[in-house]
Amino acid sequence: MIRFLVKRIALLIPVVFGIITATFLLMHATPGDPALTYLGNHPTPAAIAALHHQWGLDKPIINQYFDFIGGLFTGDLGSSLFYNETILKLIALKLPPTLMLMLMGSLFGVIFALPLAIWTAIRKDKFIDHLVSLMNAVILGMPIFFIGAMGILFFALKIPIFPVGGYGESNLQHLWSLVLPSITIGLGLVPLLVRSLRTSVIESLDSEYVAFARSKGLKNRAVWLKYALRNGSISGISILGIQVGYLAGGSLVIENVFAIPGMGSFLMSGILNRDFPVVQGATLTFAMLVVLVYLMTDVAYALLDPRARFK
Amino acid sequence: MKNISKKVLVGAVAFALVLPASFTFSQGASAASPVKGGNLTILRGDLESSLTPSTPPDNAGIWVVEEIFDTLLVPAQDAKSLKPSLATSWSASKDGLTWTFKLRPGVKFSDGKPMTSKDVKFSLQENSNPAGNWGFINSSISKIGTPNPLTVTVTTKTPYSPLPAVMAIFANSIVPYNYGGKTKEAFGKSPIGTGPFKLATWTKGQLIKIVRNPLYWEAGKPYLDSVTFKLVPDSNTRANQVQGGQAQINEFPSYSSVKTLKSVKGVKVTAFDSSAVNYLIFNNTKAPLTDVHVRKALAYLVDKKAIIAAVTFGIGTAAGAYMSPTSWAHNASIKGLPYNVAKAKAELALSTQPNGFEASINVSSGSADENSKAQILQSEAAKIGITLKINQLDPSAWTAARDAKTYDIMFGYCTTDIIDPDEIIRFAGLIDGGGSSLWSYYDNQTSAKLANDAVLVDDQAKRKAIYDKIQLAFDADQPMVPLYYAPNLYSYSTKVQNFHPFVTGNYNFRNVWLTK
Repeated sequence: MIRFLVKRIALLIPVVFGIITATFLLMHATPGDPALTYLGNHPTPAAIAALHHQWGLDKPIINQYFDFIGGLFTGDLGSSLFYNETILKLIALKLPPTLMLMLMGSLFGVIFALPLAIWTAIRKDKFIDHLVSLMNAVILGMPIFFIGAMGILFFALKIPIFPVGGYGESNLQHLWSLVLPSITIGLGLVPLLVRSLRTSVIESLDSEYVAFARSKGLKNRAVWLKYALRNGSISGISILGIQVGYLAGGSLVIENVFAIPGMGSFLMSGILNRDFPVVQGATLTFAMLVVLVYLMTDVAYALLDPRARFK
Repeated sequence: MKNISKKVLVGAVAFALVLPASFTFSQGASAASPVKGGNLTILRGDLESSLTPSTPPDNAGIWVVEEIFDTLLVPAQDAKSLKPSLATSWSASKDGLTWTFKLRPGVKFSDGKPMTSKDVKFSLQENSNPAGNWGFINSSISKIGTPNPLTVTVTTKTPYSPLPAVMAIFANSIVPYNYGGKTKEAFGKSPIGTGPFKLATWTKGQLIKIVRNPLYWEAGKPYLDSVTFKLVPDSNTRANQVQGGQAQINEFPSYSSVKTLKSVKGVKVTAFDSSAVNYLIFNNTKAPLTDVHVRKALAYLVDKKAIIAAVTFGIGTAAGAYMSPTSWAHNASIKGLPYNVAKAKAELALSTQPNGFEASINVSSGSADENSKAQILQSEAAKIGITLKINQLDPSAWTAARDAKTYDIMFGYCTTDIIDPDEIIRFAGLIDGGGSSLWSYYDNQTSAKLANDAVLVDDQAKRKAIYDKIQLAFDADQPMVPLYYAPNLYSYSTKVQNFHPFVTGNYNFRNVWLTK
């Protein structure tokens, strides 16, 4: 298991490195100048030059790149050009809402998907099965911001259960204000999760080991928990793992709709202002997040299915 | 408890007496008696960058600075004159070179230290650095004197009649001498001012909360306990939050939402006078737009009424002169060129490109307004053989093209920061006015000389005659086409009373209160 972990982590380092290098080059290749954005309507050449010097943008690109990479090794991600604050401090502020949103989103996704998958697996090709697959198609076709806007309309304005948006001030308010956005994100996960879970549950129900377990006289409950669900969940976990990219992208959109001050809005403002350190810091965080979840997926997969450890 | 029941009783009696006009009554009663207390939340789409008065380039920062700091003078509500603030009186010397400001006695900074002429001198000097964002506005100043703690003299290089108006700009807000011993950066994070509010919390890119300054010099004000400025980029979400009662003011609802918002119970939409003028801007240094006939041909193709109907949903008025009608210098006789395809064709025939040409319009990607305007112009231009290509650029790339003079045509607008016309006459109309004629790079030296003459005169009628000439020259050359004069839109809860931003943008939250 340890060898497996070391191998996996070693493979992930070049991925993260590649992402941050590509981001760095893309940001600097795109036209636009943070000094012009910063100075607004009154940019004088002297003021632009002064800002470029202050921000180190007058150095050759290659030096800026190595400064950035060097900083990474000492844990220094630099400072935001606009917020006048270190990137680490800003990320510590912006990451928790996004993490919570992704976590609660996946949780809601599973809560919705699991019973539906089991139900449709049992009632395969019956009315409910067709109804759920129709519903899946509808949800898949709807943009996530639309679902969010409808959620606000019905559950915050018409029936005021949840706040319209924002993040509240106390921890409880944080959690409460994340419920509606998380459900929105969770709903987006449902169609894929239901489909893959349903298929693999049906497969394992049809398999010889389930037939054997039944013939041994095992109770229905034990068959389901020990065989059908355990083996069925392997595909569910890998789907959920792959969907972390969707979750990160979805949180960007959902944060905007619900006015949640997380990594999404942070990255967007960074891109628009050409705040290079912000974009680099935020992309690095997202990259690490996705890669870590992939790693966790691999580990969970290996725990559930011993064959994966030797591949 | 006693108080409340008394109020209810009085209200009930009054309600019974004026039953048919009960609605007017409730509004009138609340407008007459300000209520103390409460937090007001205002939602905005833009991020504030700095709270050091001489720094912010953005309205988001400026409008918070104006609540924490005071200036020597402030604009009157109608933007036609100035009123005392930290200075109680001001006068010019006979030669028009030295202005004397008498300071209000007994004013304290929010940290308890008294405000004196030493602080004023430091503040004005800080903002006079030509490399600073707002240094240009003080460029006429040559010397600042402090004959005693409550008197400040400002001497200019030549007579400069806009000087009092310049003293009312946020960038010339009064900060403690030497930033109270802090560095400029540290001061920007925990600012100290004499204004009605002081900074409580500032979560970067999320919210700014300001609370009542108990040492504020204007007795009884502000009424509000605190004001929270929250960043909510999506305009729909802003509108929803005001509707749901989570916030009270929405800074700039989208034009398309105004009709819906007006029908929402408990929400008011008001278009306040603004100095904003929207333009179609030509790059006057790039052929064939260097040719006045080409520019005029395009100007004849602009259907201002169609643009106002499609873009602002009927809000705003078609523009003529390049100065806003909110300024006393606005030349109302200028109507601009009318929409007329035949005249456009005739004008193009006189130009270097009688058979048409190709050019591009740069629009800021994601701006639905600019896209609609570009498409309207594109289809009109096609009628006389001009092929316009629409270039979508993200805001930063758009600015870069603007500054590098590489664009052909774009849209832009400007607003004034002072009530004197000098800033906009120069900024939008003169090559060395700080904005390269709003980046049209239009260069009219006759107008430049006239503008310099205008500030030497103190008499407003005489100055207006000069500004009229400058606007006429601009109209003849059409370096840009003034499209429409747009108001500042706000949607807000009906609980918000006495909210009335200035033409220059100041919110004046000191005068605002919330009904329960």
